[in-house]
Amino acid sequence: MADPAIDEMLRVLEQERARGLELIGAASSHEELERAEVAVLGRKSPLASVQRGLGALADENRRRVGQRTNEVRETLRSAVAERRSTLDRSADDRLLEADALDVTLSGRRPRPGSLHPLTIVQREIADIFMRLGYQVLDGPEVEDEWHNFDALNIPQDHPARTMMDTTFVDVPGHPELLLRTHTSPMQIRTMQAGPPPIYVVVPGRVYRNEQITAKNMPVFHQVEGLAIDEGISFADLKGTLEAFYRELLGPERQIRLTPSFFPFVEPGAQVEVSCFVCGGGGCRTCGFTGWIETMGAGMVHPRVLEAVGYDAERWTGFAFGGGYDRLAMIRFGIPDIRILWENDIRFLEQFEASG
Amino acid sequence: MKIVLSWLRELCSVDLSAEALGELLSAKGMHTESIERPWEGLEGVVIARVLEVADHPDSDRLCLVRVDVAGTERHVVAGVRNMRPGDLVAYAGPGSRVPALAEPLGVRTLRGERSEGMICSARELALSGDHSGILVLPVDAAVGADVKTTFGLDDAVLDLEIEANRPDELSMIGVAREVSAATGVPWTKPEAGVAEGSEPAEAAASVSVLDPDRCPRFVARVVVDVTTRPSPIRVQARLTAAGMRPVSSVVDATNYAMLELGQPMHPYDLARLAGRGVIVRRAVQGERLVTLDDVERTLSAEDLVIADADRAVGIAGVMGSAASEVSASTREVLLESAFFAPRFVMRTSRHLLLQTEASTRFSRGADPELPGTAASRAARLMVEWGSGTVLRGEIEVGAAPARRRLALRPARASLLLGYPVGERDAVEALGSLEIPAEPSAGGELSVDVPSHRPDLELEADLIEEIVRAQGYERMPSSLPSTRRAGGMVAAFADRARIREALVRAGLREALSLSFASLADLELMGAAGAVRVANPPAADEPFLRTSLIPNLLKALARNLARGRGGAALFEVGHVFRLHPTGGEPPAEEREAVAGAMTGPAGEGLHAPDRDLDFLDVKGVIESLLASFGVASWGLGDPPGPPFHPGRSAVVMIATRPAGVVGELHPRAAGAFGLPGRVAVFEFDASALAAARPAIATYREIPRFPPVRRDLAFVVPAPTPAGEVRDAILQQGGELLDTVLLFDAFEGEPIPAGRKNLAFSLELRSPERTLTDAEADATVRSIVEHVERTLGAELRSG
Repeated sequence: MADPAIDEMLRVLEQERARGLELIGAASSHEELERAEVAVLGRKSPLASVQRGLGALADENRRRVGQRTNEVRETLRSAVAERRSTLDRSADDRLLEADALDVTLSGRRPRPGSLHPLTIVQREIADIFMRLGYQVLDGPEVEDEWHNFDALNIPQDHPARTMMDTTFVDVPGHPELLLRTHTSPMQIRTMQAGPPPIYVVVPGRVYRNEQITAKNMPVFHQVEGLAIDEGISFADLKGTLEAFYRELLGPERQIRLTPSFFPFVEPGAQVEVSCFVCGGGGCRTCGFTGWIETMGAGMVHPRVLEAVGYDAERWTGFAFGGGYDRLAMIRFGIPDIRILWENDIRFLEQFEASG
Repeated sequence: MKIVLSWLRELCSVDLSAEALGELLSAKGMHTESIERPWEGLEGVVIARVLEVADHPDSDRLCLVRVDVAGTERHVVAGVRNMRPGDLVAYAGPGSRVPALAEPLGVRTLRGERSEGMICSARELALSGDHSGILVLPVDAAVGADVKTTFGLDDAVLDLEIEANRPDELSMIGVAREVSAATGVPWTKPEAGVAEGSEPAEAAASVSVLDPDRCPRFVARVVVDVTTRPSPIRVQARLTAAGMRPVSSVVDATNYAMLELGQPMHPYDLARLAGRGVIVRRAVQGERLVTLDDVERTLSAEDLVIADADRAVGIAGVMGSAASEVSASTREVLLESAFFAPRFVMRTSRHLLLQTEASTRFSRGADPELPGTAASRAARLMVEWGSGTVLRGEIEVGAAPARRRLALRPARASLLLGYPVGERDAVEALGSLEIPAEPSAGGELSVDVPSHRPDLELEADLIEEIVRAQGYERMPSSLPSTRRAGGMVAAFADRARIREALVRAGLREALSLSFASLADLELMGAAGAVRVANPPAADEPFLRTSLIPNLLKALARNLARGRGGAALFEVGHVFRLHPTGGEPPAEEREAVAGAMTGPAGEGLHAPDRDLDFLDVKGVIESLLASFGVASWGLGDPPGPPFHPGRSAVVMIATRPAGVVGELHPRAAGAFGLPGRVAVFEFDASALAAARPAIATYREIPRFPPVRRDLAFVVPAPTPAGEVRDAILQQGGELLDTVLLFDAFEGEPIPAGRKNLAFSLELRSPERTLTDAEADATVRSIVEHVERTLGAELRSG
């Protein structure tokens, strides 16, 4: 049942849909889009006329044409919205284009600070021993002869006590005062402070009266370790140092203990680590031996335990001590120890990433 | 201790290379410092017979020598002519090499005469230091034979570092004993049997010991009808390689026996000893003696001497004197082989600053049972290498002390070492080192400590011997059970916090020595400085009282190296005498200091200004904030060396805790720093003490603030901080934050006044503030500031 009026209305709708999409799509500014919207969707638009004519139609036709009218209006509305956002975006783009920056310019950076490489190494050492259950302690640099020597079973006539090595402090009435020659007096102070169990490490400055050279400074750094408990053994010392060096220098490191004499330990050992520059094959750093001497260590001497009033039958313990200036030098490839003390900014700034 | 390998092999015929032996000895505690081959550069030198020594036609000094090298005649030009026809010499022909020369020998023409190589001195062959003439070889040498193999010059020498408690290892037999223990290859003692004459030694000489404490044992041998000769080539070579100087058969015999056995000995020319004997006595205070090194020594009554009836002829255990020295004309020798108490030899050696092969061994402890054997060995060699008759018997005074006995519990060894050590293991390990141990009551071992092991004093010493014999490398690894979390003491944690804060604030950590010069002290106050008795550098004889001087020097060094902009800090100990003489006499405090100078930045974004007071103040603000210190402020300028208008004492909770400021330009200039230098220094413990124990949560504001800006014109000297404090004080509860955002002097502000602009945020925790409420508070603030500070509101 063809009705020419209905057909005409449907034709107008189709025509308006096509015309509207074309107008909207061609709008190159918000103003043009506004005009196009009024033209195709406004009250005077052919679409509005069709809408208005719907009331005169019979039910069935009204539904049919009305549905189509709605479809066309929605299509056009969404086309307008889409076109509007496209126009928005290109306006932003133009603004941002004008706002462009040369990204290769240097960034605004806060003034960078840095830790000294010896602090970095000291912190690594302390961290490892804390993870192993040790307390990190601090001690005085001005010591007395008893703590630095006598209590450590270093008798009056021992060569280490001569003026050649020890730096004495001149305080009237106190001839016993000196700058500690090693961190070992902290073994004594720690034991004097309380009963075992004791698990401590003490990093710090030590003093030897030596000429300044590429290898020696009159001030350097040592870390002391002390473990006193029931049943502590020489094998515990070996295992502890293995754990420490593998954590510090890599899991493939080997350690080697060889007999050595220190008055405050018995048995005593020299501790060497497989060279972490060449991996043990031999190089200049390790003197072509594959090993680097790092520490002295051993089981705390019974006389030392007795000096602090411990029961040397009940308690056993190990102690170790070694410098870490050389460790830092090898780790960072620093050829001359004096560089560590010159505080040249060009040196210090190399450690920004290492802290 | 230098170990000549062939010599060691004579005592223990171990079949290891020098390198392998070095490893083995290192693992046993004799760390091998180096392996030398002193005759590596000796090649192709042969024994030749001198046929003729003739004058050089064109030189008074040179001579022409014809030699026969196993049937071939060679011509050489020589510089000396101590050799005669028939003598055997070492001939280095063209193409051969000697240690003393870098290049192989060739054919040269010397003053028109052809010289095919050379004939050698002892020094050229590295046999000794003797370069006085051509070395004349023993008559029984084979012409044409290679010098190197004939005299055993293909040796290696191991330089061992011997531990201070092991005097026994300062001998060939001591090392042989260790090698034998480690390898199982048996070792033999050097032959010490000696043929004796019929006359008793005691009839020929006398020995008297007046101080048996210092000389518990003295053994003497007498050798008569002595002739001295150069020692055999091989002996000279060994002594040289071991670091001693060959002298003559008599002296060399005592030195050689000492190196072998570890017992120092001394030969006296008996005919030159007044009273034909020696007396061991204390020196007379001030007694003088010229020792063999031609130095006159002044002795004290604590020193022990060997004397004859008239005078001291040697310092016991240290060095003899020229007066009784043996010489080529010596016919009778009194050979001293004694045991001197270690402590006293060490003291004498130290106070005379005279360390010798003898004093080293006696100081560490010689073997008191050895003097007799050693004397026999030396006498035997003396006769063998020279000639003479050893008189019958020894003259002996005193005796060796009884051996020490120690108890050893295998269970204790197991506990201390961390692996099971049975009774048999212990006996076997000690036995390998010739330390006899036998079971006794209660599961213990009774150990008989050999006389050559003075280091074995306690059970722990024996336990070390067990693990050393078994091998440190065989020890297992274990970890103790600490049963406690690790951590750091507060001082350590505080230091880490300080460092982090300062690194974040853009400072670089520096490190400097702990010493100070007088000028350093004067900069920061010299009171109570601790003096160093023997400072490493003479111009820095104090311990530092402040970290600032060394930081200034570092800044100046960087400036000199073209790095003007620098900001450094250091954390470390500073030292002062206890103010009232209490304990500790020298007080140590942990200080933290920073110093900065030069451009505030570099490059594109750098502000066009130098680092100054406000930069360093910003640093300490960050530092104090990182310690959560809220109640701090700036007090008066601290005075010199600070800039009077740009410095302040830092007060934490009303107590001085540090200083901050720019240095007085003169003070900075004295350190070579021309621009502004801003520094701070704190007592680290004051920072830590002010840190609140725990941070507590404050509710985050839920209601919006009301913002007001207030600009005051105030008298120019009024500190901004005072205005800010007045605002805060009057603002009461509703005033949340105050921020100074502008400060300036000059147009349009009248002279003598300045403009300070603050941004205020007012807020109630309970409700949104009305404008009326905010206005009332602001009005009261303005009135208060105007009234109390002579300010006038410019805008707001």
